[in-house]
Amino acid sequence: MSYLNIDAQALNTYDAIVIGSGISGGWAAKELIGKGLRTLVLERGRDVRHVTDYPTTNMQPWEFEHRNQLKREVRDANPIISKCYAFYEGTEQFFVKDAEHPYIQEKPFDWIRGYQVGGKSLMWARQTQRWSDFDFDGPARDGFAVDWPIRYADIAPWYSYVERFAGISGNKDGLATLPDGEFLPPHEWNCVEKHFQQKIAGRYKDRHVIMGRAAHLTQPQPVHYQQGRAQCQHRTICERGCPFGGYFSSNSTTIPWAAKTGKMTLRPNSVVHSIIYDEKKGRATGVRVIDTHTKQMQEYYARIIFLNAAALNSNLVLLNSTSTRFPNGLGNDSGVLGKYAAFHNYRAGVSGEYDGDLDSTTDGRRPNSPYIPRFRNVEKQEMGFLRGYAAGFSAGRVSRSDQNGVGADLKESLLNPKLGGWYVGSHMMGETIPKESNFLALDSSLKDPFGIPQLKISIAYDDNDDKMVKDYQEQLTEMFTEAGFKNIRVRDSHASPGLDIHEMGGVRMGKDPKTSMLNKWNQLHAVKNVFVTDGACMTSTSTQNPSLTYMAMTARSADYAVKAMKKGLV
Amino acid sequence: MAGAVGGLISLPAWATGWTPETVRSSRKILSGSQTDMLANMVETIIPTTDTTTAAGPGAKALNVHLFVQKMVTDCYDKPAQENFRKGLDSLDGLAQTAFSKPFAEGDAAQRTALLTQLAQSTDKGRKDFYSLVKNLTIRGYMSSEYVMTNLTHYQFIPGHYYGCVPVKTKTLSQPK
Repeated sequence: MSYLNIDAQALNTYDAIVIGSGISGGWAAKELIGKGLRTLVLERGRDVRHVTDYPTTNMQPWEFEHRNQLKREVRDANPIISKCYAFYEGTEQFFVKDAEHPYIQEKPFDWIRGYQVGGKSLMWARQTQRWSDFDFDGPARDGFAVDWPIRYADIAPWYSYVERFAGISGNKDGLATLPDGEFLPPHEWNCVEKHFQQKIAGRYKDRHVIMGRAAHLTQPQPVHYQQGRAQCQHRTICERGCPFGGYFSSNSTTIPWAAKTGKMTLRPNSVVHSIIYDEKKGRATGVRVIDTHTKQMQEYYARIIFLNAAALNSNLVLLNSTSTRFPNGLGNDSGVLGKYAAFHNYRAGVSGEYDGDLDSTTDGRRPNSPYIPRFRNVEKQEMGFLRGYAAGFSAGRVSRSDQNGVGADLKESLLNPKLGGWYVGSHMMGETIPKESNFLALDSSLKDPFGIPQLKISIAYDDNDDKMVKDYQEQLTEMFTEAGFKNIRVRDSHASPGLDIHEMGGVRMGKDPKTSMLNKWNQLHAVKNVFVTDGACMTSTSTQNPSLTYMAMTARSADYAVKAMKKGLV
Repeated sequence: MAGAVGGLISLPAWATGWTPETVRSSRKILSGSQTDMLANMVETIIPTTDTTTAAGPGAKALNVHLFVQKMVTDCYDKPAQENFRKGLDSLDGLAQTAFSKPFAEGDAAQRTALLTQLAQSTDKGRKDFYSLVKNLTIRGYMSSEYVMTNLTHYQFIPGHYYGCVPVKTKTLSQPK
């Protein structure tokens, strides 16, 4: 019997375990495996293989029974996920249904999740902007959260490293607020976007309109062909999965790359219950996994563990990993685990119309749009609120037909539409301030379908966010007016936090173990062989779409982890 | 993709992609006669034509009535479904009053006039019924394989985005 146990233990032992296969987990797997580690990748959802498991990717619009509208019963059963812009008939298979993983909204929070191999990297919005020191300096300069233990110079080479492999399109704009990267050619501007860019450049020294940097192969390089990927075809139905591998996802890129080494064991349908802490050894020795089919618990062991379960679930795993040494969650000596969670404020938008450039239009579709980097409180604190916002911007024209009446005239009109004028639109991406009062915790009684305590989410906007919404609306209105746009309208959706799908923090990095969970290598201060490199690690949020930073942090951390392992430090 | 605007003769080419089987709702909320009435109504909204620049099959030949029924069944709530049935049931009575024949037997001008009257009705239920069917008819017709392939030249794989092109080369707007 004891022999059997030893055999089973040996069979279940790896060099490394990666929890999660999404955007950061995929990178952890690729990097650790690339450095020779036999790695177990655990994914709580089902397997989704590149191309073959994208059932709707080649469906024409008329092939969708309800033309991509959600059925009433789907909408009624899923009030949370139905709010997500990317959830429609053609993508239902990639989103977690409300009942599958219940959680408690102490305050309204729309938790958008993708439980499958690849996670949300399948359906993400693919915007990839670097951070700068204006972002990393934020908490220290403005006196919130704790100082980041890293600066731009620490992560810059890793941005370059992941950009070259992932394939990031963009223009070298030379902006201190949004450092340039290793770019494939940028997407094209249309006439009105160019007009706006020039007007803004002429009016404001510190405001720039640039083409968004996006994870699309505008001109694939040899490394992308080696990955089996091809040029983006501008279908703009990315969230259904791309058979060309035209955008970066774990499924198209990191996971197959790791798999072909033969050193990866991918175990889908594996919900991580907790990380095992060995009191005698003073280290984590493995993880407890619940098989979603059998509901049986199984243990797996490894020298190092990368936790990449997505921001909130990484908090959940640590909170649920209790021991005599860590009664309040793994590595939680400071008591800050689950606290100082934050997100991006996407509430506000501005729209308008433009009467010029009527002899020009666009042709084709673009999976990207221009971007306005943060211009508030950059060099110094100058507004009545902390930090600032970035903004998306785009212009376009649509054909419209007179839909009055019925009969042959209506048909004639429908088939001979008139090209409308230009519309312009923008949305804000505001930094929110991590606060102790925005926290995650485990419920003491309610459990999920696997017997794991439900996550209690208590995250809300504050006065700073409201002030920023107002300023964004005023400033974009002014900028739109400057560009000659008409019928300018502002909106504030008052959408709950969560719909931004940029939840961050709870396991923050910091210099001081008394006030943070992770050190500058994304390593738990108190448990050196556990690394957290997804959104949970974020000390502050800045304004940039965070995925690129998670990729770079993960590659950097994995590099350190393997070096430290070889030196016997972990 | 060049304009195969052949009208009804080209039916087999597009009918294979969008057959009654693919648009038929698994649940049926309409009786046979209500379905027939709906077919006549959608055909009145978008008729088969051969004399205009918009020649080609109408909504009925493209099975838009089955699409409308499927949408109302699967995507709308019970009160809307109820009003939908009630509206269909009222058409023959309104037709008798207006032109002394069942709806289906009226000529195009009579049926068109009757629907125009519904559009202007002060009765909320009637107006809602008309708007629901008309909007779904337009949606079903414009997003049918026949129209998107032959008339509006939908590009599933554009392969490019050109930001500034002269207006005249632009085709119809391109839904996903």
